[in-house]
Amino acid sequence: MSDVAISARRLSPGTKAVLGIFARYGTIIGLLAMIVAFSILSPHAFPTVNNFTNVLNQASLAMIIAGGLTLAVVVGELDLSIGFAASLHGILITGLVVHDKLPIPLAVVIVIALGAVIGLVNGFIVTKVKVNSVIATLGVGTILTGLAFAYSAGVPIVAGVPEAFLQLSLGRWLFGIPNNIIVMILVLGGLWLLVERTPLGQEIQAVGGNAVAARLAGVNVDRIKILGFVISGMCAALTGILLASRLGSGTASAADSYLLTAFAAVFLGSATLRDGEFHVLGTLVGALIIAFGFNGLNIFGAPTFSQYVLQGAILIIAVGTASLGRSLAER
Amino acid sequence: MQTAFTRGAPQQAAPMTTPFLVAHDITKAFGGAQALKGVSLDIAPGEIHGLVGANGAGKSTFIRILAGLNHPDAGRIEIDGQSQQIATPQRATELGMSFIHQELAFVPGMTVLQNIMLGVPKKSRFGLTDWRAIARDVAPIARRVGISAPLNASVKGLSTAEIWLINICRALVREARLIVMDEPTASLAASEAERLFAIVRDLSTSGVAVLYISHRLDEILNLCSRVSVFRDGRSVAELAGKGLNRAALVEAIVGGAIRDSQRTATTRPRGDVVMEASKLTRAPKVRGVSLKLHAGEVLGIGGLVGAGRTELARLLFGADRPDSGEMRLAGRPYQPASPAAAVRAGLGLIPEERRAEALFLSKSIAFNLGIANLDKIVHGRYLPLLNRRARTSMAGEMISSLSIKARNASTPVGRLSGGNQQKVAIGRWLQRKPKVLILDEPTRGVDIGARAEIHRLIRQQADSGMAVLVISSEPDELPDLCDRVLVMSEGRIVRELTGSAVSRKAIVEASYVDPQALMEDHLA
Repeated sequence: MSDVAISARRLSPGTKAVLGIFARYGTIIGLLAMIVAFSILSPHAFPTVNNFTNVLNQASLAMIIAGGLTLAVVVGELDLSIGFAASLHGILITGLVVHDKLPIPLAVVIVIALGAVIGLVNGFIVTKVKVNSVIATLGVGTILTGLAFAYSAGVPIVAGVPEAFLQLSLGRWLFGIPNNIIVMILVLGGLWLLVERTPLGQEIQAVGGNAVAARLAGVNVDRIKILGFVISGMCAALTGILLASRLGSGTASAADSYLLTAFAAVFLGSATLRDGEFHVLGTLVGALIIAFGFNGLNIFGAPTFSQYVLQGAILIIAVGTASLGRSLAER
Repeated sequence: MQTAFTRGAPQQAAPMTTPFLVAHDITKAFGGAQALKGVSLDIAPGEIHGLVGANGAGKSTFIRILAGLNHPDAGRIEIDGQSQQIATPQRATELGMSFIHQELAFVPGMTVLQNIMLGVPKKSRFGLTDWRAIARDVAPIARRVGISAPLNASVKGLSTAEIWLINICRALVREARLIVMDEPTASLAASEAERLFAIVRDLSTSGVAVLYISHRLDEILNLCSRVSVFRDGRSVAELAGKGLNRAALVEAIVGGAIRDSQRTATTRPRGDVVMEASKLTRAPKVRGVSLKLHAGEVLGIGGLVGAGRTELARLLFGADRPDSGEMRLAGRPYQPASPAAAVRAGLGLIPEERRAEALFLSKSIAFNLGIANLDKIVHGRYLPLLNRRARTSMAGEMISSLSIKARNASTPVGRLSGGNQQKVAIGRWLQRKPKVLILDEPTRGVDIGARAEIHRLIRQQADSGMAVLVISSEPDELPDLCDRVLVMSEGRIVRELTGSAVSRKAIVEASYVDPQALMEDHLA
């Protein structure tokens, strides 16, 4: 009897196929639709090379930190420390360059190494001390905020920032492409290659897919999880450096809001192409949706608050429809 | 002095009295599987009634039906001579039945009293629970069953036996007339078990009936006046009086005229000892296990569910660390710190719960096979990139050599049938050609065709010189497959069967051996 009840609710194969397509390609369709809509509504301001370059340039920092976060979530953990860490990194690199007069490349290396160490600490607390990653990284992030205030004594470092440091983010390179975009492409490309095309990446995906099975298949689960945190930490450092360079100053909470943007991008990405799995390409799509959405609203002069409303709404709608579509298509 | 507890019906319930419970010809199917094919059983007030049977005989399903958790397809249940539908667990409680499961129900953060009153309707004053009044009512009952901890103490730190008493107390507060106890002594020490028996007898004298389920036949013989035996979903025997003895019980559990399956396993020449364990212990599940595993043999580990077989496999595979004992692999000391180390040393494990512990369901067959063989699908030492073509062709080979039914190597494993999923789990290790392959319940939930193929595969590996260890609870599987069988009971190896001595009956019989008694025999 219950069989009949279920089959009555069963969807036709055609409907299922359409729902399946929506679950996988919904975000990409949404992104394209948004671009088309903005182009029609604002044909002079929106669809220009200049504006697109600008959007990408702006979004690159969020994409880098979101790319790092993707690695943490792919191994099945969350990293809430990244925004606070990026703020600390920003203020630290400004201090190293302005106060300690360190050569810029050395300062960059030091700060990225610190990012790796923070990831190592996160990973150690999560895998060895066995603290839930939400708590562990929130705790570490809060400590980092404290350290950032201690380092700067609450005062932003503004004066005496050398031009060469500003050029890290503001400069352009090959064919006049902004450095930020080049760095972003290299980072996301590298991460994609790592996750999708290396044996290590197979282990990373295995740990995220089923940690118990990964362990029994001979994967060193703890090491892979720590690696996820380390990469997340290094990407946060990179974003912190580029943000300080773009702002020309170091402020103790400059990058905090990147945490939310990165999470939005990563979870939007999980609704892209693969059924609810996190992956680097998806994160890229997610970050683009947020970036173009903000840009469009700016062009139409929408107030700031609407950007937050939009970011939250897009996230819930995208992830929600994908998950609904999936469960309907599988019924 | 007569307390309420010792008053009441005599222990030997007279057959004239109306039975408290009558279950008549109960059947139940889950999907295609007929779990109960017709079981009948009656329990008199104040009777201690034993229930025994091998794994999968239908005991659990029967109890779930009594508890209102499952509903019978057919059959009749009477309480006090009235036909009843037990639609919900609440209804079962109302009818006077209480259930004490093997996993005892308690909340660690609460007090003794709160745990006793868990799920019991409570007195209240002015809309607030009146704990003082409740404590007044409960105190004498708690004293009767011998709860020594104060009612307002936390249950944290109490022993399993005391938690068990709390569960008994809860049943009595609910004025239960039948208490169903599932393997009550499974995690108790001998002295605690003695105390439990005394309480069970007391309950009986005061008119509370007990349905006592245990694998420990000595306990059953000691306590019960009547015993029902389930086999393959049927109640096959009811033993009482002179007819109730150990031999008769085993006979009924195994089945009188056992059609022992054709032993197809030929005794093949076995090679050197590949793996050796001596006095391996991880309390409480594995106790002093010693074994030798030879190249080219299929060694079976038989025994009841919970005998410690899976835990033993996990020790051998480095998934858990032993408390004590030693292992050797190919003559050298072997102390795997992790499964990764075990894999490097040349082991493979196919775990019991394949969907939860072996497979990546959303990932492709190629991914699932490749994950344990990454060194074989890399472009080269200096180019650490995945060789996807090598991975696909490796997967293709496995698909055809194991005849895995799938469209291609990129089909997600979650879409395959149970048998094909299991072949993927096995194929992962075959590619590595490990020295030792451990299979835990290799054909559980697998159809007959796939089962035969998996058996053929296992024999092939042994023929090619691999040492294979197979754990199985299916009575026919080990005699079919193994050259030699070790039977475990309560964490210990209690018997070794070789050659023609390997039979379904011998394995089942040994499964019920009490290792404690065995050790005393040795000492005597």
